[in-house]
Amino acid sequence: MLSEVYHIIQDDWPLLLIGQYPNGPLGGIAATLLLSVLGISLAFPLGVLVALARISPWLLLRAPATALVYTMRGVPLLVIIFWGYFLVPLLIGRVVPGFVTMVCALVIYEAAFLSEIVRAGIQALPSGQTDAARALGHSHLGAMRYVVLPQALYNMMPSILSQFVSTIKDTTLGYVINVPELTFAANQINNRLLTKPFEVFFLLAVIYYVVCWSLTQLANWLERRIAAKRAGSGGAYRKDLAVQDGQPLPAEL
Amino acid sequence: MIEFSHVNKRYGEYHALVDINAQVRKGEVVVVCGPSGSGKSTLIRTVNRLEEIQSGTLTFDGQNVHAKMSSKELNRIRSRIGFVFQSFNLFPHMSALENVMFSPIRLRGLRPADAHDKAMLLLDRVGLVNKSRSYPAQLSGGQQQRVAIARALAMEPPAMLFDEPTSALDPEMVGEVLAVMRSLASEGMTMMCVTHEMAFAREVADRVWFMDAGSILSMAEPNSFFGNPEHPRAQRFLADLRAR
Repeated sequence: MLSEVYHIIQDDWPLLLIGQYPNGPLGGIAATLLLSVLGISLAFPLGVLVALARISPWLLLRAPATALVYTMRGVPLLVIIFWGYFLVPLLIGRVVPGFVTMVCALVIYEAAFLSEIVRAGIQALPSGQTDAARALGHSHLGAMRYVVLPQALYNMMPSILSQFVSTIKDTTLGYVINVPELTFAANQINNRLLTKPFEVFFLLAVIYYVVCWSLTQLANWLERRIAAKRAGSGGAYRKDLAVQDGQPLPAEL
Repeated sequence: MIEFSHVNKRYGEYHALVDINAQVRKGEVVVVCGPSGSGKSTLIRTVNRLEEIQSGTLTFDGQNVHAKMSSKELNRIRSRIGFVFQSFNLFPHMSALENVMFSPIRLRGLRPADAHDKAMLLLDRVGLVNKSRSYPAQLSGGQQQRVAIARALAMEPPAMLFDEPTSALDPEMVGEVLAVMRSLASEGMTMMCVTHEMAFAREVADRVWFMDAGSILSMAEPNSFFGNPEHPRAQRFLADLRAR
């Protein structure tokens, strides 16, 4: 079986890697990665904003954010994609490329889920953190930006990572509106070979696994780095601390 | 400097502060004591409006703290009132030094280099220069509270409020925090301290306010409060403290 997989790679690696490009649209792994990167990098800041709006004292911000979250949570992503694909062109009167539709649907959908994770992270922090920032004279947004979010986002990294991984996997749905991403390419190969579905889709699974695993490793590395910094045992810090701790304490007051 | 006039606060049905009339003069050290649930912390938190009040006026340095005002104005008033919490509330993602530098940079627009020098002086003052790079999780409770005091002092507030600053500390760390507070008092800082440290009150306070059930029952100099408490509730409270 592995030799079959090897043959598929050997014959079709350009299709798997970049699709029909440069003779057609960019596809394959490249399109999947591009969709993922755009989806995550746009959904994350939007998710933070939606979370802030969700806990805002102003109804004018809170109501639409809440409505967005409830809608996105209650409707499957596939249906959102169909809406975007069939309805948006009718509404705006011009054709929207499938790739653009897919990015927008991903961003809105994932942002709604991310916002709930971020909101949980914010509300799980002890209220003393906000109290302390406010008592020093920081504004609500200043307290959020410099005190609350850095802690909330760090604490929520495992959940945020899961949502990022979900986003990568959700790019496969681009297949249904003919976005030539990796699953689309794999299906093209399968349709041509006809007799090797197991090998083709095994290869597809392995590729997705590697991509998601890489992201997990990156997140773990980042988490370790931050933890090490906050524990004061990271890199150059340790040496300095050790030297300082070796000095006699100045006379206590 | 801090003046309460007919201040009332309610949590729904519960009357948390009952017609408070009192003042803290410039340079004065007031210790607020009383049984738990008597409203001490609520009272001190109304001064910088971490708690709202329902009626009455509360002025700080001539400004009506609970007047209708923009959040900008309120933040400016808050930045002039140092506040120290029972649970320290240091920012755990910042080193001791960053905790102290952060607000002057963000709020006063100090250059990082200047803020750094100033923060080191303050950390020196609380005896923690050698811990400047440590994160809160690496510091003992007493050390964290001393950093918290330095953090509050970094905004150069004309008055400091302490909300049970030693209640969350192991007994052997209480002394180091009280020492910092004592040195602040001796430099003429206006201070309002909610505390159960009666020795500290006796030694440092100009006046002791005794609270119960949301009211201030007595305001007296420490000698007369501890030597000869008038109010029967205060007598019982002091007897309970001694019996501990």
